[in-house]
Order: sequence, then structure tokens, then C-alpha cells
Amino acid sequence: MAKIDLSNISHTYNPLDPKPTYALNPFSMTWENGKRYAILGPSGCGKTTMLNIVSGLVRPSKGEILFDETPVTDLKTEDRNIAQVFQFPVIYNTMTVYDNLAFPLRCREFTKDKIEERVKAVSDTLNLSSFLNSPARKLTADQKQLISLGRGLVREDVAAVLMDEPLTVIDPDLKFRLRRNLKEINEQYKTTLVYVTHDQNEAMTFAENIIVMDQGEIVQVGLPKDLFEKPKTTFVGYFIGSPAMNIFHSTVSSDHEVKINDTTIKTNSNLGNLKDKNVKLGIRSEFIELAEKEKSNTVKIKLTRVEDFGNFKLLTGKMGDLVIKSKVEREKPIPDGELNLYFPPEKCCVYSDEKLV
Amino acid sequence: MSKLYTFLKYFFITFWTVFVVAPFLWAVSTSFKDFQSVNSKVTYIPWLDFEPTLEGWRVLIKSPAKGGVDIVEPYFNSIFVTCTASLISIVLGTLAAYALSRFTFKAGFVRNNDITFFFISQRIMPPIVLSIPFFIFLSTIGLLDSLLGLVVVYIVLLMPIAVWIMVDFFNRVPKELDETALIDGCNPYQAFYKVVLPNSIPGLIVAGMFCIIFGWIDFFFAFILTFTEVQLLPVKVVALNSSITPWWSLSASALVSVAPLIIVAFIVERYLSKGNLSGALK
Repeated sequence: MAKIDLSNISHTYNPLDPKPTYALNPFSMTWENGKRYAILGPSGCGKTTMLNIVSGLVRPSKGEILFDETPVTDLKTEDRNIAQVFQFPVIYNTMTVYDNLAFPLRCREFTKDKIEERVKAVSDTLNLSSFLNSPARKLTADQKQLISLGRGLVREDVAAVLMDEPLTVIDPDLKFRLRRNLKEINEQYKTTLVYVTHDQNEAMTFAENIIVMDQGEIVQVGLPKDLFEKPKTTFVGYFIGSPAMNIFHSTVSSDHEVKINDTTIKTNSNLGNLKDKNVKLGIRSEFIELAEKEKSNTVKIKLTRVEDFGNFKLLTGKMGDLVIKSKVEREKPIPDGELNLYFPPEKCCVYSDEKLV
Repeated sequence: MSKLYTFLKYFFITFWTVFVVAPFLWAVSTSFKDFQSVNSKVTYIPWLDFEPTLEGWRVLIKSPAKGGVDIVEPYFNSIFVTCTASLISIVLGTLAAYALSRFTFKAGFVRNNDITFFFISQRIMPPIVLSIPFFIFLSTIGLLDSLLGLVVVYIVLLMPIAVWIMVDFFNRVPKELDETALIDGCNPYQAFYKVVLPNSIPGLIVAGMFCIIFGWIDFFFAFILTFTEVQLLPVKVVALNSSITPWWSLSASALVSVAPLIIVAFIVERYLSKGNLSGALK
């Protein structure tokens, strides 16, 4: 267990190129000891590169990594005492499940008793106890991934457990249970867990802190609630939440107001410096309320579609050429034709140059 | 339709079995014949058609002074040369293949694939092209007509096979396996021999099988690079022939020669039937 500092890290896979493209643009970040982090972003945004830099499989082009204030940038992978679980199960085919789980401990010359104790504890947690003597290659894909996970968790003193979309091959039921198990392990052993995913629900339910990445940049680090309610960029607004955040082109009309298609919307943002500038107004479909009559901060839309998702209804409507989506309670009666939607000012986010004002 | 299919299936299996087994049975039968039984009329079954004799087999172990050909020494020479060269080829070839599979080499325009092709290219050339360079090379270093010289030449011939098979095999072993071993605490050498190598046993068996077969059956280089001091089995077997072809001892020596390959085939077949080699052979 360790505090991990990433200081001015950047990485390119073609350093000899006169104009190298960076898989990771310079960033600094600290992963506190014993916390759960999720790295969230679309495929190819640099998530796996970041993990590989921490585990030592990739040496960063620039910057420094510190474990508990000790520089480890030049330390080899095997000397970093880190655990990493890959997207697809990587198991030692020629060994039994027990030997697979014991392997990291044997490599580090733990005593036989300690190995037995740890393997038992981890196999109990992951429901692998009954397979311990089976050849690992005979297990199913999700059981194999549990072995990979088990090899990551078997060392108590590990600096951090890095997981690269580890639950992709696991069925949804087990996925849910495993996420809960991982949380328990984190709480019990205070192991720093870093979890890479492109599934926002997975990130939101698992992590205390979420790191959102896009095109090699870290665009926002924060609590799930902050990412949801106050996305720092329009990308985060689009990427987090289902459906994506409603984002409209608008013009600043006063210190706290913007205009969308001649409708004035009051916000809590301070827009004094942006008078008459073009900005974007963002609001989650969850925060848009159905208003019985026209009042301040309401927009009139023409309802085009109502989708019933079982636990809520998703309304899609048009205001001119703008499409607005709103989630409403399932039981709420939806009038046909035109309706008024209320935008609570405290939930409205204004973006200038794609960044939150 | 399914009956026709079953019929055709069994017909072809029977046809193929006869095609493969008949020459063996012919050789077995002939090896127990004498001059009279071979040359008088067509005979097949011992005791009924002809009186079996062990003369054809005895010739193989009798010394030339007593009218025999003595293939015992060439036999052990062949075993020594084939096994030593195959073993060294597999060890060096596996290491080379692992490097070619896992690291990126750049030297001018030369890349990994070019290096792999360079290895294989030695097998593409007709052997005759290599014979004079090998002859001059061995005579320069004083290893002409020696077992060691043959081992050196066979390593050159067999290593490309090992590299070729193992590169392909290692390419299909995910590199995450090596990375996981490093993360688990192995150094790169331990990762190779504790994790990657045990996972590559099917590939090693296939490479070993090919090396042994190609080493064992080589006649050309054994014939050109040895004279009187050292002889390998294929050369000795061919030397059995004379103005009157001794079919009985030729048959016996042919059976003795293929025996090791049959044993190898049985061992490999066990792995094949377990399905362990499915990946290695694709």
C-alpha cells in the first residue's frame, strides 16, 4: 500500500518522430493510499498507458513516479510490488488454480504457511476454494478472470492493484458481486485500487474518485456526484450520464442569464465577463422538470417521443431545431403536444470554449 | 446420404491405411527372406510361402570382415548427431525466437520479419548450394569427416526450423502473460522459463519432432561431409546396395531406420490426441 504520485508524466510511443504524437499529455496527479479510483474514458484515450506507466511495463517519456515519496520511475516492474489485472484473463495454463494464486507470493519468497493462508483467504473471497486443485486451463472464462484478480489481491503489501477493465468477461450478476467484494477488500485491507473502465456505471458505483480522460488528457478528477452535476467540460457532460447531458448553443444576455432561441434562462453562473458571447448551456435530463404552465426558466417544447424504461420515462422534444431530453417519473402523466420544461438555475452549467464557467 | 458418407469415409480410411501399412508389411516380410525366396517367385507369408530366416537381420550387426555391414556404429552416430544437433537447435532457436517475438529489432531496413526470413531462407536454398561452402568451412576448421562437424552443419540446418516454428508459437502466446509474470515478481529470465516456456511445450515438441525427423533422414550432407572415419545411418543403408540388391538386409535396415521416428510419432501423437498441440499446429 502506498501513496502514488505521478509528477509531470507524459508519454509518446514514437519519441524519435520529429513531431511525436502523445498518448498521454503532461499531467500530475496523486493517488492517495487506500482509496478507490476509476479511470474513465473512451477507447484509445490513454487509460491503459497510464496503468502501464504505473506498473512499470511502460517507461514514461517524461516525468516521475513516486511511491510514498520514493522515486520508482527507473525501477523495474518486478521490483515495484504492484498488481495488475488485464482486460482478458491471463492465467498460467500449466499450473493449478492454487499454484496460480500462490505464484506472486512464491516469486517473492513468502513462507509456505503464509502462502497457504493468503491463498485460502483470497480463494474464499472469490469463490474459488472448490477449484484450488483443478488445472487452471479447465476453468471458464469468468473463473479464469477471478484467478487473475486473485493473483492481484493475494499480496497484502502490494502498492496498488491496477485493473484494466477486469470485469469485461464476467457475467452481470457476478460483476455486481465482485465490485462489492472489491469495495470490501479495499475497506478491509486499505488496498489502493485503480480501475480502468469505459463503463460509467461501473466507475460511478465502484470508485470514490473518478478520473475522466479524453485524447491523452485528464479532463476532470472528482467525486461521482461532481462529475454528474458539474461536469467541467462538455466532453464530460456528454460522456457521463445516460442519456448524455443536454447541451445547447446560447448567448450570454446578462450577468446570470443566457438566451436559447430567444428564451432566457437564468443560471447561477457568473457570466459578467462573457456578455454577448456565444456559450453553451448544459443541463442533465434528470434535472429538467415538467412544469404545468409557462413561468420563468421554462422552455416550451414539442413532444416528439416518450420512451418507457420501466423505472422512468424519457421524453424527447424539440424547441425549434434543438433537441431536449428529460427524464420524468414513470407515474407522471405526460400531456400530448406541447409542454413546458423547467430548468432549475442551480443545475444549469454554462460552458465557454467547452469549459465550465 | 449419411450411409454413402459413412461408406466413403471408411473406404478412404481403409485405402489410406493399406497405402501406408503395405510397404511396411512388405518390408517386414522381405526382411525374413533369403535370396531364394526373394528371387524365385512371389511370396508373402512366412512358413507357408517361404521359410523365414534371420540372415537379413544378422548381416546388419556382423562385422564387414565376416561378410556383414555392421550398421550399429552408424546407427549410434546418427542418434548422437541428430539428438545433439536437435537439442542445441531447439535451445538456441527457442531463445532466438523468443527475442524475435517479443522485442523489436531495427538495423537499417532490417526488421524482425526480415531476420526471421533470413533464418528460413537457409532452408529455401537447394542443399547443393550449401554443400561446397560447408565442405570448405569444415575442412578449414578441421572437422571434415567427424561427428562434431556434422553436428555443426546440422545445427545450421535445423535451427531455422526451430526458429520458424517457435516464433510463430511465441507470437500466439499473449505478451500479457510475460507482463503478468513480471508484475507477479519474476525477472525477465524467470518469466521466460517459469511461465512462457511451460506454456510453449506443445510448440517445443513440434519443433523437436521436425528437427529430429529432418536430422535423422538427411542423406545428402552426411554423404558429402563424411568419408571413412564417420558414417551415418542413411549413408550406410545406401551403401548396402551392391550389384545384387540384398532386399532382405535392405528391408531389415529400413525397418531399423524408421523405428526411432515411429517412436517419436507415438510420443507426439499422445500430445496431439490430448489436444495440447492444436494451437501449435494451426
